[in-house]
Amino acid sequence: MILLPVLLPLAAGLVLLLIRPIGESRTARMVLVPAALVLTVTANLYLASQPDVSLLLWQLAPEMPIYFHLDNLTRLFSLLTSGIWCIAGVFSLQYMQHEGGERRFFCVYLLVLAILMGLDYAGSLITFYVFYELVTLSSFLLVIHSGTHEAIMAGLKYLFYSVAGAFMALFGVFFLYSTTSDLVFTPGGVLPASFIPGERERLLIALALLMLGFSAKAGMFPLHGWLPAAHPVAPAPASAVLSGIITKSGVLALIRVLYYIAGVDFLRGTWVQYAYLSLTLITVLMGSMMAYYEPVLKKRLAYSTVSQVSYVLFGIGLMTPVGLAGALCHVLFHATIKCGLFLAAGAFIYQTGRTKVADLRGVGKNMPVTVWSFALCSLALVGIPPASGFVSKWLLATGALDAGVGVWGYLGPVILLVSALLTAGYLFPVVSRGFFPGEGYESGITCREAPGLMIVPVVLLAVLAILLGIFHTPYNKLLTAVLGGLF
Amino acid sequence: MLLLILVCLPFLAGIIAYALGVGNPRARDIFSPLAALAEFGLAIYLCTLVWSGAEVSWSAAICGMGLRLQADGFRVLWVAAAAFAWACSSAIAPEYLAHGGHQGRYQLFTFITLGGVMGVFLSADLFTVFVFFEIMSLASWVWVAHEDDKKASYAADTYLAVAVIGGLTLLMGLFLLNHTAGTLMIAELRQACAAHAGQLELYAAGALLLLGFGAKAGMFPLHFWLPMAHPVAPAPASALLSGVLTKCGIFGILVIAAGLFPEDLRWGEVVLGLGTVTMVLGALLAIFAVDLKRTLACSSVSQIGFILVGCALLSLLGEEHGLAAAGTQLHMLNHLLIKTTLFLSAGVFAMNRHTLDLNKLRGAGRNSPLVLKLAFLMGALSVAGIPMTSGYVSKTLLHEGIVEYIAHAEHLAGIALVPLHMVEWLFLLSGGMTLAYMTKLFYLLFLAKPQNQTPRLKMGLPAALSIAAPALVLLVLGLTPHQTMDRLAGKGMLLDGLTAPVHVVQYLSLQNLKGAAVSISVGIILFVLIIWKCLMRDGVLKNAWPTWMDLECRFYRPVVMQMLPAALGCICRMFDYLTDSLIAALRMTVLRSARMKQKPLTRFGLANNLGALLDRHARRKGQQRRSFIFSLAQWEEQTILTSRLIGASMSFGLLMFCIGLTLILVYLLI
Repeated sequence: MILLPVLLPLAAGLVLLLIRPIGESRTARMVLVPAALVLTVTANLYLASQPDVSLLLWQLAPEMPIYFHLDNLTRLFSLLTSGIWCIAGVFSLQYMQHEGGERRFFCVYLLVLAILMGLDYAGSLITFYVFYELVTLSSFLLVIHSGTHEAIMAGLKYLFYSVAGAFMALFGVFFLYSTTSDLVFTPGGVLPASFIPGERERLLIALALLMLGFSAKAGMFPLHGWLPAAHPVAPAPASAVLSGIITKSGVLALIRVLYYIAGVDFLRGTWVQYAYLSLTLITVLMGSMMAYYEPVLKKRLAYSTVSQVSYVLFGIGLMTPVGLAGALCHVLFHATIKCGLFLAAGAFIYQTGRTKVADLRGVGKNMPVTVWSFALCSLALVGIPPASGFVSKWLLATGALDAGVGVWGYLGPVILLVSALLTAGYLFPVVSRGFFPGEGYESGITCREAPGLMIVPVVLLAVLAILLGIFHTPYNKLLTAVLGGLF
Repeated sequence: MLLLILVCLPFLAGIIAYALGVGNPRARDIFSPLAALAEFGLAIYLCTLVWSGAEVSWSAAICGMGLRLQADGFRVLWVAAAAFAWACSSAIAPEYLAHGGHQGRYQLFTFITLGGVMGVFLSADLFTVFVFFEIMSLASWVWVAHEDDKKASYAADTYLAVAVIGGLTLLMGLFLLNHTAGTLMIAELRQACAAHAGQLELYAAGALLLLGFGAKAGMFPLHFWLPMAHPVAPAPASALLSGVLTKCGIFGILVIAAGLFPEDLRWGEVVLGLGTVTMVLGALLAIFAVDLKRTLACSSVSQIGFILVGCALLSLLGEEHGLAAAGTQLHMLNHLLIKTTLFLSAGVFAMNRHTLDLNKLRGAGRNSPLVLKLAFLMGALSVAGIPMTSGYVSKTLLHEGIVEYIAHAEHLAGIALVPLHMVEWLFLLSGGMTLAYMTKLFYLLFLAKPQNQTPRLKMGLPAALSIAAPALVLLVLGLTPHQTMDRLAGKGMLLDGLTAPVHVVQYLSLQNLKGAAVSISVGIILFVLIIWKCLMRDGVLKNAWPTWMDLECRFYRPVVMQMLPAALGCICRMFDYLTDSLIAALRMTVLRSARMKQKPLTRFGLANNLGALLDRHARRKGQQRRSFIFSLAQWEEQTILTSRLIGASMSFGLLMFCIGLTLILVYLLI
């Protein structure tokens, strides 16, 4: 039962791959893909309402189990992943006509979802690591979809950075393994309380390596280089899920390592925490700054992801309930918002073929609904109340001030706000120049609004980006449950 | 629940207005003033409820931290005043915008802004204030950008930047305040902050909040956007920007003064200094302005300065701040009414003549409806603080406050009195300057002879009503200060922590009239000497304000928009390329792959070296073309071939022979 969310998209993906007539026919795809996606969401919803369960699938080696477990964090991430995947999937049904290679795309798209589900449901570090590598390999195919030289080079860069990160993490796993052979995710950590005093430094180094390695996927400095290269070259819906969801697998990894393997009590106040916080803050500022100077819209959004995901990492690194709550909220909001922004950018490309921000001047007259959605998502990402980004920013900043992490507590909010300012600086001009191109400016854009299959997901995400900020009851319970188990 | 309706109704009305306008613009034009009037009616109902002693509040766990609304005397007064201004503005808007287009958008954002303003004034805690403040701040940006010409988009960019930066500064202040005081409830602030009085963190929080709210209020040195943004917005919107939105900023500053620093002399002195500079600078700019709405906008800056002086007195006077509190609050109200009247009147000029240049509008008002003349006169007299007007009352109260503080300071050790006397004189001087520039406006618009015969100014009934209504209120307030104004500033109508004056002020006493007399004589002298003799010597108003004295052009744009991002960007780019360049360096040195090394074309040394260099450069530029090595090799081969041919030719032999002969000759000669 617990494997249902993994098996459903896997099966659908294999059908597309193996049975060529189904894969090639548009009608069949129009039925099969949404059906698989919706069923996955339903399965996740059903499982989320069930009590915690676990499943030992099989032993790789005597002490290396492939072990699945359903806990609150899994519920949160699996629902988020499959939900966003579903929305972007609907968008891509139309968008991929423009890009071509639909059979291959949807097949990979569903397989990646299956692997991500496996990642979310993984119950031990070993299982997690296996799926983590699989995510890298499978999403590599999404990056290189267009097959151009640029895409393949970017894909290889992605592959190398991710694999380098994963090996760094693996190195950490070996270290940890020598201390404790039981690497099942347990709230509060599995490190034995009575380790030898001399081991402390060694463990810290192992954990630092793990954190640094896993943060490659979340695009944290210094292993962020692949992200602004790889995300923009993928087709728009793929960029949307790469930015919105797959970076979050790095986040999930860090939460698992910090809160379920190491235990925050062990790490709090150590050099690892401070070094980690510094790196996240550097990334936050750097990402925004680079986005501010980036002329290509999708690349700008990718740099924005670098910055925004590090908000989350910063919150995780605070190791307090409020900080983690802020981080989890931002996971949710950023996934929604960034997916919306990338899909809107995709709609611009689909309709006008223009990729640069400067060329999109005056597009508001032709595609008002898309630009409006872009505007709402921008407001949410900058964190203008009552849109969603504000809530997480508030939690992160107050969490930082109260976390007792010295100068980082003050530096954090300042950098978050400077970054928010830059976010406004790189997103608002798209909207303001889109609607107010200036007197007598001829954009030369003649197209109309994008087709319904594309516009509905974009609008849906934009509305969610606002509403999630105003009404937090739906997800608050789950968040409280996650936090309740950890602190 | 009533509060929720008050806040939500405008949002709903905006959407309805927009939807109506899509099919039927006329229905929208009728609907929107009615909706604003309904809002005003609700506000009045709330006033009667609260003033009769009912406790009205509302809260809900939404928007993360939960929103809390609350109504008390001060708040409902401002809710009613804002709704009133909105009703006036919406009445004139359809006529004003009739030729411009995009009316649906205008109405939508006007109502969203109203919702934000309602929220700000009804908030019970600073978190809620911030939520609505941002809504208001960003929605009003559409007003400034509305005209979509070069000037408007420049001003709109500035406005947006100030709104966003101001908002984030405010937010940082709230973070610090929340961290220090542990609460953001306005009613609890005073107690919570008392424990932290004099602490650096509280001052930091206060300073950030002051900057955030001050940016919206138009406080020096963040006033620069105001004279730029207010004139380019449509007139009904400028009236609201100037009359109501600046007051949202002042509301915040009042909360800080009353909650964080109730008896803090240091704080008071800083605000007093900033307020005085704002007051004088605004008036000075207004004297030199040659644009109708710019004059009014600069006047707003100046009047905000007066109000800020009042806010400073709240902290300075400590327990005995009654007079200053009343003066501040009444001047806020007066300014709202005055600027609504004046900006809407300016709107009548703009919609008839399509210009705001005072030289082109010369005498345009001579042939105009009586309502316009009287209303403008009423506004002008009131803002200049002529006795028997409401402006006189509030300015007198503020002046009394300063005098009281000087008397108070004489008993305290360590306070220099000279600056305080200077503040008093500058206060009176600014009053005089106000009179001077309002005289300038009134003279040019209504008294001067036009250069050529111009048609009569026309306006519809709603426009006439919307101009007459605030002017009428001003008149009533001015004529019956004890019955109306004292009550409005009286007990139960003040913000938490403020107190009403203990004794009644005789506004028309000799002492108070003396101050007004000084102001008026200064104003007449200034008008005659500066405006009449210097600026209007040949009947044409000269633009004598040096253009280089523009804080925005000279300082903010270069520093904030270019230098800071460039410096930060440089550092960040370094970080961004760090790993990539490390990898590149490794690939070039230690990890150089064997396959990458191409077999050099051994015969062509030059082509090889130069071509490789160019290739690398081209690759860095991202151009993909055939390798330079080959084209260079081709070129080199040709060169070698040609030179060999030359070398083998007969003429070359002859040439060599000649050279040899010459050399021998030279040798022999030597």
